[in-house]
Amino acid sequence: MIVEIGHFALALALGLSLVQCALPLWGARMRDPALMGIATPAALGAFLCVAVAFAALTLAYVQSDFSVLNVVENSHSTQPLLYRFTSVWGNHEGSMLLWVLILTLFGALVALSRRSLPERLRANALAAQGAIAIAFLAFILVTSNPFARVTPAPFEGQDLNPILQDLGLAIHPPLLYLGYVGFSISFAFAAAALIEGRIDAVWARAVRPWTLTAWLFLTLGIAMGSYWAYYELGWGGWWFWDPVENASLMPWLAGTALLHSTIVMEKRDALKVWTVLLAILTFSLSLLGTFLVRSGVLTSVHAFATDPARGVFILAILVAFIGGSLALFAWRAPMLKPGGLFAPVSREGALVLNNLLLASACATVFIGTLYPLALEALTGDKISVGEPFFNATFLPIVVPLLAVLPLGQSLAWKRGDLLGTAERLFAAFALALAATLAAVAFAEGGPVVAVLGLALGFFLVAGSLADIVNRSWTRGMPLATAWRRARGLPRSAWGMAVAHAAVGLVAIGIAAQAWSTETLAVMKPGEVAAAGPYQLRLDAVLPRTGPNYREDVARFSVMRHGETVGTVEAMKRLYVTRGMPTTEAGIMTRGPSQLYVSLGEPQPGGGLGVRFYWKPYVLLIWGGALFMAAGGALSLTDRRLRVGAPARARAAALPAATPAE
Amino acid sequence: MTRKQRRLTLIGAALSVIALALGLVLFAMRDTIVFFHGPTDIAEKGVRPGTRFRLGGLVKEGSVVRGEGQSVRFEVTDTNRSVLVRYTGLLPDLFREGQGVVAEGVLEPSGDFRADSVLAKHDETYMPREVADTLKKQGVWQGEGSRR
Amino acid sequence: MAIWVIFALMTGAAVLAVLWPLSRQRTAAADDGTGDDAAFYRQQIAEIERDAARGALTAAEAEAAKAEAGRRLLRAAAAAEHAAADQEGEPALRRRRAASAVTLSTIPLVALALYGALGSPQLPSVPHAERLAGDPRGLDLAAAVARIEAHLARTPEDGRGWEVLAPVYLKSGRAEDAVKAYAAALRLLGDAPQRYADYGEAMVVAAGGTVTADARTAFERALALDGTAPKPKFYLAVAAEQDGRRQDALALLADLARSGPADAPWQPVVRERMARLGGESGAAAVAALPPAERDAAIRGMVASLEARLTAEGGSVDGWLGLVRSYAVLGERGKARAALARAAERLAGDAEAERRLTAAARDLDLDITSDSGKEVSR
Repeated sequence: MIVEIGHFALALALGLSLVQCALPLWGARMRDPALMGIATPAALGAFLCVAVAFAALTLAYVQSDFSVLNVVENSHSTQPLLYRFTSVWGNHEGSMLLWVLILTLFGALVALSRRSLPERLRANALAAQGAIAIAFLAFILVTSNPFARVTPAPFEGQDLNPILQDLGLAIHPPLLYLGYVGFSISFAFAAAALIEGRIDAVWARAVRPWTLTAWLFLTLGIAMGSYWAYYELGWGGWWFWDPVENASLMPWLAGTALLHSTIVMEKRDALKVWTVLLAILTFSLSLLGTFLVRSGVLTSVHAFATDPARGVFILAILVAFIGGSLALFAWRAPMLKPGGLFAPVSREGALVLNNLLLASACATVFIGTLYPLALEALTGDKISVGEPFFNATFLPIVVPLLAVLPLGQSLAWKRGDLLGTAERLFAAFALALAATLAAVAFAEGGPVVAVLGLALGFFLVAGSLADIVNRSWTRGMPLATAWRRARGLPRSAWGMAVAHAAVGLVAIGIAAQAWSTETLAVMKPGEVAAAGPYQLRLDAVLPRTGPNYREDVARFSVMRHGETVGTVEAMKRLYVTRGMPTTEAGIMTRGPSQLYVSLGEPQPGGGLGVRFYWKPYVLLIWGGALFMAAGGALSLTDRRLRVGAPARARAAALPAATPAE
Repeated sequence: MTRKQRRLTLIGAALSVIALALGLVLFAMRDTIVFFHGPTDIAEKGVRPGTRFRLGGLVKEGSVVRGEGQSVRFEVTDTNRSVLVRYTGLLPDLFREGQGVVAEGVLEPSGDFRADSVLAKHDETYMPREVADTLKKQGVWQGEGSRR
Repeated sequence: MAIWVIFALMTGAAVLAVLWPLSRQRTAAADDGTGDDAAFYRQQIAEIERDAARGALTAAEAEAAKAEAGRRLLRAAAAAEHAAADQEGEPALRRRRAASAVTLSTIPLVALALYGALGSPQLPSVPHAERLAGDPRGLDLAAAVARIEAHLARTPEDGRGWEVLAPVYLKSGRAEDAVKAYAAALRLLGDAPQRYADYGEAMVVAAGGTVTADARTAFERALALDGTAPKPKFYLAVAAEQDGRRQDALALLADLARSGPADAPWQPVVRERMARLGGESGAAAVAALPPAERDAAIRGMVASLEARLTAEGGSVDGWLGLVRSYAVLGERGKARAALARAAERLAGDAEAERRLTAAARDLDLDITSDSGKEVSR
């Protein structure tokens, strides 16, 4: 019965979304507060209904209710409770339900934030959000209903794809969806602004927390997904330029650009039209990401739902929303008033450059991801666009972006002083150079590109540090005063510094991978192989039985200079129900570096094929992403708002205590 | 600067960045893209030795020969023709005879294929999309298997 | 019935929640969007003043920022004047009535129509734990299978479990699982002719009726272990037919029909198959003949097989079929001769020699001992 209540709640949510879309839109047009007021209970009601539906499905999974088709196909009664729980979204139908749950959750949050939003903007935005909810609820109910029943109920399920039975999966999709769907709010606000024909700093202020929230979750989701692929797929790589990864990277790049352009708009009332366009594009890319993953048009490890009928439905949604919003944009954008002026060399100018480069980077990823599909559709030629392509296109755009980042974040609003700013960054530059030289000396050389990457990373970290120092300290000032002033800096300034330094950490982590080593060995128990600065001895290979799998465990002793520093276990696992083998890598963390062991086939001579990786400072890649998100969160807690004050031309020599975003 | 000049500066900057991106993409398209071929394609399309591409098909039954260390030899077939593949390294979990496989590497003058990476998908019923298409062309493929 | 009451309550709650703002008295009627903008800039100016007071901004910067915020405030206030709200009077009332009507109709209609089309309100939930706790005698086949599977997931080394499970899988159409189960049983319990034969059969079913090379090996193993087993013979005949070796197939089937008990349940199948094969080859429909004539017919076919093998050569299966046919027909001398010729023809082929020797042993045709035990059925 509970399952059916969930099913009905989902249908009810669709009814509520229809009301949420239609009536507030009309109310905003007529300036009728009562009609606009409907948006709030409708959005809250839709969220409650979807939450009931999601809870019902979760209960069915936890109780292994095999009268639900979705549970049969993706679950097994011997699964540990945690994975029975995460199986809910480990499949197409459940993950779409999660998508809509998050969508309506954001809708409900917007509905509740009465204070910070003008009534008409809120009503229009909720109406636009309602339209998205209608499309996706209909999609779920019609083409991928998680509440389809089977009778008589089979006694056992078919189990979740073992590769998805992992804690990483438990966290990865919800985070990613919080990001994807969070951008629906930015999109809804953009649509609302276009409908109203009015956009200003108030709009930017209303939209920025949502964009920031979405961006921060997307950052975490991408990092999580990357780490999951790293340890679960057993190839030791952390980014594969897989179309599905690209699908999440594109909205991230566009979202990052949006984040920065919203700042310009909030502070300086400029870049209005571009920001609206960017908000539309960001969410369109999120939808495209959903489409790429869900329709199975791509060959990818994530393609666990492959059904063209669904693809056609999503394609229709995609065309309707992207096409519709772009048409709305073309029609209404000319009505938006142009905003404030600024000199090319200024914080605004730097942020425009940031936007240009991020948008171009996003475009190269877009081309690299979709070109093979287009080519195959047109000529039938099948090609694969991989790492070499992105190295040749994406990197040359991102590297200059990172190189000018410290400069841009120190420029003043409206009109900046390039020379003065560069001067203030001199210390940071020297620091970065010294750190790079030290690192290269320690590592005894390395590829040029990697050294440049290291230098870039150090420069970003030092530049962020210098920004904070320059804001709170002038020559001759007592340190105590500087400390007080630093603490007095707005949290958003700290957030920016942390996030930008984190970008540097990621760059260092990526560059350091040039020094990683890979060793292939065929080993018998007792034999020793070297991996980086460590030696590994294969102690034993033992069989072991888990809750729903069997595995062979290879245990290695890790030694350095003849001393044992620990053991690491790598597994070859066989999931009984699906008869599917997986490789579980053994990972030993030493500081920010990792030793990575992956098992291969038993060899004819009786040995075991093993692959060792030594990955120096690899954790900086994901640690950096965590810091980036932390910077976003820090900035989010700063609810203050300011007007960007230009530095007076004659006051340029003074430390520019420019209020930050 | 007047508003117009500023706008022109902005547009100029935008155009140059876009031109840069476009140039990079076109440049990269020329030599970083890898084509996908089946064993029959190699013969029919006359793929030249030394070309880098992805080879897809089924691992021919009984063709896997493990050699010294981790080197391995196997044949990839689309049931019409087959190509001998040589590879050194760990094979993926689901590399099995009769299963779909995609290998990336270079065709040698002898007609053998030297692979530097071998992919097999993490699903028991998995068939790389390109392999499925190749086999469909040869009329062998019969759908996704009995269970999902 | 209870479920419909719950649905009605849910729908009612949803409709009422949405209608609530419509019925409410408009307390803050002036609170339309534009007022907020002015408030926003006023807040902004206040904040700039606070920052300037704290020393976070220099006086000059604070001035500039305040001037800008002030300009925006004026603009917002001017915009507010324009927007005259239309909230009172007859049109507003009519609008609200229309909105109520839309709400009252849309929500229940959409929900009920969609759920009515897609839902199955009559089905109860069936949590796994409840079913397991139920009476074990009431367990259906699927439940029993699930129990054994759960048991095997814990103790996968229990070969008997696999052996029990395998035929059930095969019957319920899960042939691939049956193959895996038989393979596990073979691995854990060791060789047995019946197990090999069943394993092969499962593979044949899994392959959609085709006797694959693996399946044939299994049948050959089964036959090597027990030369009289009917199932492997039958499938080897199918394999021969599938390979286009019609004569071999016929010989094997004839052997099978002769050696098995006349009332064996599979006899009709064999005869029917022979009839089809024979018919296709233009020979007499052997199965339909009275016993004496059938015997003659078979002898004729065997002789022609021998002629063909002698003239053109043939596979080890062909020769073995011939040897077995003679053995079955009781012509031990000819059988031995055929065996000798086969050994001569296939000399050098280790596998063939091994199988010939095995067949000789099975059929008790050892050339040295001529104890003449009657060939078993």
